[in-house]
Order: sequence, then C-alpha cells, then structure tokens
Amino acid sequence: MRDYWLSKLFFDLQNPALANEYRAGRGKVLDRYPLKAEVRAAVESDDVGTLSKLVNPYLLRFYFLMAGMPEDEFLRRIRSTGARAPARAAHG
Amino acid sequence: MAELTGVYAASHGPMIVRNWGKLTPAEQSGLDSAFSELGKRMRAARPDALIVISPDHWVNFFIDNLPAICVGVGEVHDGPPEPWLHDFPHRTLPGHPALAEHIVRHAHEHDFEPSVSYRLALDHGFCIPLWKAGLDPLPPIVPVVFNDLEPPYPSVKRCFDWGAMLAEAVASFPGKLRVAILATGGLSHSIGEPDMGRIDEAFDRDCIQRFERGDPRALIEFLNERLPGAGNGASEVRNWVAAHGAARARGFELIRYDPIPNVYVGCGFASWNVR
Repeated sequence: MRDYWLSKLFFDLQNPALANEYRAGRGKVLDRYPLKAEVRAAVESDDVGTLSKLVNPYLLRFYFLMAGMPEDEFLRRIRSTGARAPARAAHG
Repeated sequence: MAELTGVYAASHGPMIVRNWGKLTPAEQSGLDSAFSELGKRMRAARPDALIVISPDHWVNFFIDNLPAICVGVGEVHDGPPEPWLHDFPHRTLPGHPALAEHIVRHAHEHDFEPSVSYRLALDHGFCIPLWKAGLDPLPPIVPVVFNDLEPPYPSVKRCFDWGAMLAEAVASFPGKLRVAILATGGLSHSIGEPDMGRIDEAFDRDCIQRFERGDPRALIEFLNERLPGAGNGASEVRNWVAAHGAARARGFELIRYDPIPNVYVGCGFASWNVR
C-alpha cells in the first residue's frame, strides 16, 4: 500500500523549480502536503527504511538523489533496511 | 498493406548516460558495440514507423491514474524531461497518428483495452536506445507504455498476447508502410530496493535461453516463477515478451548480454528474425 501524499510529494519534486525550493528549505514545501506526522518526521530525518515501505522504489530512489544524498549513502541505507522487496510479492 | 520488418529489444538503464564517464573502457566498449549493432539492424529494416514499447518512469502517470497499457496517438511527443538527458538531440519526436489510431482500434476490436494519450513525454526508457542506436533522423514513433513499475502489472501472458495483437494490427494497416518494433528495458535489475545494484545473471541467462528456444508457454511459466525474484526492474522483461509475441515467438537472436554493475543492470540487446 502506498502513502498517497508522500508519493505525491516525491512525484511533484521531479519539477526542477519545486526541487530547488525544497532544497533551499523543506518546511514550506512540506507544509503544502497533508503528510501524517510520522511520515513527515521520516522525511525530515531522511529515514530511508521507513519511507521505503510507503512509496514506489523508483520514486524513493529519485527523491534521495534529488535531495542530495550521495548514491553510496543511499545504497548503504536501503541495503541495511533488510526489508523484503515489494516486487517479491507481485507475481509475473 | 503494412509490413513488420524488424523486432528488437534493448536495455535502457539511465546510468548508461548518467554514469558513462565512470564505466570501465570494457563496459563502454561493450555497450557501444551492442547499440551500434542494434542501430545497424534497425536501419537495415528501413522502418517508416517505429513502435516503441517502454515503461513510463513516473513522467506521464501517477498513482491517481495509472494505465496498464497506453498508446501514444499524437502527432508529436515530447522529448525526455530528465535533466541529465539534456544532450538528447530531440526536444520533440514525431508521432504516427494513423498507425497509432489503427492499433488502438484494432486492439479494441480484439478484446484489448489500451488507454490513449495525445501527447506523451518520452523518458529515458524510450530515448536512450533511440539515441545510442544512432537513429537519426528518427522515424515517426508510436509509443506504447507498459506499466512495468507499479503493481498490479499486466500479466506476462497478456504482454505476449499484446505483442501478437500488435503484429496483427500492423499487418492489417491499410497502407504501404514498413514498421519495426523496439521493446526497451530489462534484464534483471533492482532500483530503490534493499538489493539495489544486484544483477541476477543466472536469471538473465536462463531468460535469454527461453527466448532462444521460442516456446511461449515455457517462457511465460519461467517468468511467472522467476521474474518476481530478479529485481523490480526485471519487470520490464514484459516488454521483451511483447516483442516475442509480435515475432510469433520465432527468430530470437541475442546481440549482446553484459551484466554491468556500474549500470546496475543486466544489459541485454536482441533482435528477432521476422522474415
């Protein structure tokens, strides 16, 4: 199950202007999205593991790349989640 | 009547472009060789129109409206929006509305229900293979978006049937037209998942072997069992299955396969002999 507003935030951040605004200060952008408190906290703390359970993996990867997390760091964090990959549950 | 003159498949991993400078000379050489051969074969088919089957990587569609399959019927499509593809030489790509609308009509008359778009943005899935294969000028494109990114996916069998239907649609197009099909994506890779970067080479080689053997039932059974374990990006093999269906499960020829960790992808290139 996806978190709609978190997914919407990540999707919208593909817009370069919004991405620039977000990188300059997350708060004002986050205020426009009715994120649940625990979801917003996960965004604000770059909690890859929690967020990975709530959005499509491609959007997750895009988001942290856009937000400036180095690729090696993202890989370290996503690999350390040990979560079962969502695609594993989907049959061909 | 129109003629199907070629069917092809190619990986489209973004790192082929984004990470090009960090690839080893051998990796660069392998990819150059594969795309060069792909381009040579595609040019030899002299397509007047090219049907390109690719996923949409969150460019045109979102989870508030996510079609299983969408056909681009517009006169013009937008080029890739990814900033790192700014060197792609086309800001717009020509469409082929007559062929696209015929495909949609034929589909609906044969119990397939694609959605339509009159203006798609064609992301790296479409544009990297077109660019790297050196197709210039580009033939008019009929983009066919398969949802390979977000479950529920179209079934593997449905994708095979879709390909067969596409070939029938081309054959029944009332006009003299040479048409080729290019399926993009795959083979194994994992993006944004805990096993990101893992390439399932055993899956890839087994998969290629199933394409070479032809038998669609065996291919579909294999993929139903093994696709979910080959990384979320492997879902794009559905597009190869559609190409296999269009080629009537015959004539698969591997151009090249290289598992490339710096691209995160088991990079595969193939064509089907449709003569």
